[in-house]
Amino acid sequence: MRLSFKNNLTMNCRSELLEVTVEARQVEESILSLLHTILLHRSTGKFHYKKEGTYSIGTVGTVDIDCDYIDFTFVKISSEELDRVIKKAVVEFKDALNISGSDGIGQISLEFYQKKKSRWPFSDECIPWEVWNIKVNVVNLANEQERQICREKVGEKLCEKVINIVEVINRHDYVPKMPTQSEVDNVFDTSLREVQPYLHKITYQITDSLGTSVSTTMRRLIKDTLAL
Amino acid sequence: MAHFDTEYQRLEASYSDSPPGEENLLMHVPEGAKSQWHHIENLDLFFQRVYNLHQKNGFTCMLLGEIFELIQLLFVVGFTVFLANCVDYDILFANKFVNHTDSSKVTLPDAFVPVEVCNARIRDNAFVIFVLIISGVFWLHRLVKFIYNVCCYWEIRAFYIHALKMTMSELPYATWQEVQARIVEIQKEHQICIHKKELTELDIYHRILRFKNYMVAMVNKSLLPVRFRLPLLGDVVFFTRGLKYNFELIFFWGPGSLFENEWSLKSEYKRGVNRLELADRLASRILWIGVANLLLCPVILVWQILYAFFSYTEVIKREPGSLGARCWSLYGRCYLRHFNELDHELMSRLSKGYKAASKYMNCFLSPLLTVVAKNVAFFAGSLLAVLIALTIYDEDVLAVEHVLSSITLLGVCITVCRSFIPDKHMVFCPEQLLRVILAHIHYMPDHWQGNAHRYETRDQFSQLFQYKAVFILEELLSPVVTPIILIFCLRRKSLEIIDFFRNFTVEVVGVGDTCSFAQMDIRQHGHPAWMSEGKTEASIYQQAEDGKTELSLMHFAITNPQWQPPRETTHFISQLKERVQREATGASSDMHPPSLSESQPRSLIANFLTAPSAQPSVHFGRDGSLSGQVAAASDAVAALRSLSPISSSLHLRGSFSGAYRTAGNASATSRTMAGSGTDARTMSSGSSAWEAQLTSLVLSEYASTEMSIHALYMHELHKQQSRGNALSRHTWHRQESDESSDSIPDEVKSVPGSRYKHLPRSHTFPTTVPSPTAIPTSASDGAAAAGPEGTASQQGGSNRWPYADILCTGGKVTRSARVPMGGWAEESHQLAPRRHESLPEESSEDELPPHIHKVR
Repeated sequence: MRLSFKNNLTMNCRSELLEVTVEARQVEESILSLLHTILLHRSTGKFHYKKEGTYSIGTVGTVDIDCDYIDFTFVKISSEELDRVIKKAVVEFKDALNISGSDGIGQISLEFYQKKKSRWPFSDECIPWEVWNIKVNVVNLANEQERQICREKVGEKLCEKVINIVEVINRHDYVPKMPTQSEVDNVFDTSLREVQPYLHKITYQITDSLGTSVSTTMRRLIKDTLAL
Repeated sequence: MAHFDTEYQRLEASYSDSPPGEENLLMHVPEGAKSQWHHIENLDLFFQRVYNLHQKNGFTCMLLGEIFELIQLLFVVGFTVFLANCVDYDILFANKFVNHTDSSKVTLPDAFVPVEVCNARIRDNAFVIFVLIISGVFWLHRLVKFIYNVCCYWEIRAFYIHALKMTMSELPYATWQEVQARIVEIQKEHQICIHKKELTELDIYHRILRFKNYMVAMVNKSLLPVRFRLPLLGDVVFFTRGLKYNFELIFFWGPGSLFENEWSLKSEYKRGVNRLELADRLASRILWIGVANLLLCPVILVWQILYAFFSYTEVIKREPGSLGARCWSLYGRCYLRHFNELDHELMSRLSKGYKAASKYMNCFLSPLLTVVAKNVAFFAGSLLAVLIALTIYDEDVLAVEHVLSSITLLGVCITVCRSFIPDKHMVFCPEQLLRVILAHIHYMPDHWQGNAHRYETRDQFSQLFQYKAVFILEELLSPVVTPIILIFCLRRKSLEIIDFFRNFTVEVVGVGDTCSFAQMDIRQHGHPAWMSEGKTEASIYQQAEDGKTELSLMHFAITNPQWQPPRETTHFISQLKERVQREATGASSDMHPPSLSESQPRSLIANFLTAPSAQPSVHFGRDGSLSGQVAAASDAVAALRSLSPISSSLHLRGSFSGAYRTAGNASATSRTMAGSGTDARTMSSGSSAWEAQLTSLVLSEYASTEMSIHALYMHELHKQQSRGNALSRHTWHRQESDESSDSIPDEVKSVPGSRYKHLPRSHTFPTTVPSPTAIPTSASDGAAAAGPEGTASQQGGSNRWPYADILCTGGKVTRSARVPMGGWAEESHQLAPRRHESLPEESSEDELPPHIHKVR
């Protein structure tokens, strides 16, 4: 059975798709490694504003992480807060994937967005500018030997993905312009103490659930009737 | 502590938590970064709003317009209820007397029912309450929408002022091309769209017209059920606003529609795997919407009637003739629309064709009706004259009961009758009129050419160009008919619709899913009979009909000269332009020495036609009516005259391009600009730099004429080609699938050339006046026929008008000789039944699914 996932919600937004096929116990590490790699490149040091439009940038520390179930080492930002946030989302996703049962296909998305302040009657808009979709296929392996092979294979695959991510990020694509002090909250997540990643959120989807599509339809219906 | 003179210095203790050496690491936010216009979430909506605001002439105009609309709505409902319930008509009609003490005059307030009685009446009347509730809900909806719109458009206004640097006051005088050029410009700076560094004109058009392009393509491929064969009425087209709204609801934005959001088709519809299941789902959805329509029918009907009553009664009172006037039907607008053509472009094009079109339709007044109308008008007129004369003698006549109303009625009656009586000076020259129409509307089915004088052609044309009265009637009927069409016709087509959307949707980076026809790719959707032979790889299913791809491409390239098409497309465009250019310059060098002043191209043509003929009867009146002594000749003159802006601009451009090649510098002023617009790209000189700034307005005015030339040229070539290799496809009557075309060419071919008189070419044409029956069948022949009138200018050779040239250079002189001649020739009547026989064959393949299923 093929599942169709909601592709990127908004049009004016880049979207990248990464696909991994892993064993159940590797899910957490593989996703963490990818998300951390992306966030490493989408974070800056803290901004310290001197004037409205002048700032200096703090430092970003990194750590190497060795995976337990995969032959793979990745670099991540050393920030416990960030760690916690991501870990929480990934664990939730992993659990949901386990509960969902046999087919074991899921998608977790890391979406970078910008806030746009609106006038009174409307709430602030969150406009995504880049979405990373990681599609996960979980396989069951029969014996230890296969697991061993898988361990290496997944390591290689992740290595490829990381290079892929770096390539994408190196392109001269759109990223939000550096903000002035008053606008910094619209672009960066300033709640963390050590680093300052672009505003992001992590969402996941196990199957294309009916609930979301109904609600989006309703929202669109209302919007469309209002539109000229 | 000793002070050492070294470069090493003590570090200033910094107690802030910023890293050391921060002075060097200070970053500055660039100035422009504060703009709020980068990265707009919904570009489709954004561009649509930018376009709307431009079309509505700025924020204030729009605001005022909408406010008045709201007030009007209130007024309509309120006034109707008042008239129905709160007026004592007996007093108004003086059937009942009011006893006033102070004066004997009956005043208007006397006729009003007291408020309490009035309220009670309204409360008791369930129907009135029903109407009031419906309109109340509707009005509230409009109000909310209005407030929402004001907020949205305020933002767009800010975009115009701050980003595009245009004030609202100058907006009405800026062309859309200018606005568009600025948008393209600011994309470089603000990155409205994040996928691309630069936006193209086509991107903007695609976003604004995404769904309209789909509709045009669906009408083009005859997918939508708008054409019906009814037992009594025959072939009719029924396409109203209500029906269109429902189509859009089903396909594009309603709940559960094919589109996920404004810019992407749902992914399951892109795969061919479960098309049957999807078709079932679509069919049931259509059923539900049809049923909903049926349930809401009374509400919509009441609304339509109210709306029609109040919007049209005033007009009818003022000018009763307006019901006899015509307008372009909704179907016509879909059929005639190019891919990627904005509303204002279409409307200006159609408006230009309006005069010729209504003239053409007037050629076909029924003689029977004319006789009746003449007599009715006579009797009514004599009664009216007597009444008026009596009134003038003594105005007390007016006080007699019903005199005033009978005068009014008789007046209306005469006006109606007059619309059935043809102009005494009208000349029957349908072919040329149709040619002129074609120059503006750009599309027509193949079999119209050469058959313009026939009633079938007229009937079919009237489907595009209907009576206003019919339009209103159809709108009124729409609430009843729409559910029937949805449930019984559209539902059957669900599989085809699913296939259509799968096969003809492409995902374009930075734009989203668009209709692939709108890419205007000759290779994918070109039609071999429309100049893209050898270039197209499209199967019959993929070809756009009526040369839509090619004509749309030319239209877009001409209206947007800055647009950089893909390479093969550029090649196609430049090739075509070169050919047309060659014809044009060839013709113009024959006619005009380059030294002639271009300031009055019209008068040049006029001179050339009038002076040598030296006939006092041939004069150029404003209304274009010519005394019909020499029918054929004057027809030709009329055709040329109405085309004179076209041909003149052609010459103008032609001679300019010559001047441009030699002079080449930008010192030439607006005159050169006009020329450069056409061939700047083909000449590939460095003109684009100044072309960009100077052109917009001058060019856009000439662009339409240039497009007319190209459209005529392409139709002409198509005619040649389709006759030449019998590829002509009879597209007008095709029902839905395209494999049906084979039956027609035989019919076209079966017109044996020998049965017709040979129409001599102009240089061999005897200088006698042609007989009125020998009406030339195309404007090119018309031009040829005009030759003898213009004997003085004949020294140049054969051609007055480029299309005569085409006929010659095409190398198929025999072809033009084969054109059926006399408008009432017997042969053409014999042909008529045969055409009808061929119809059922075509529609027999209705149920066949398309043969190509390209899975993307």
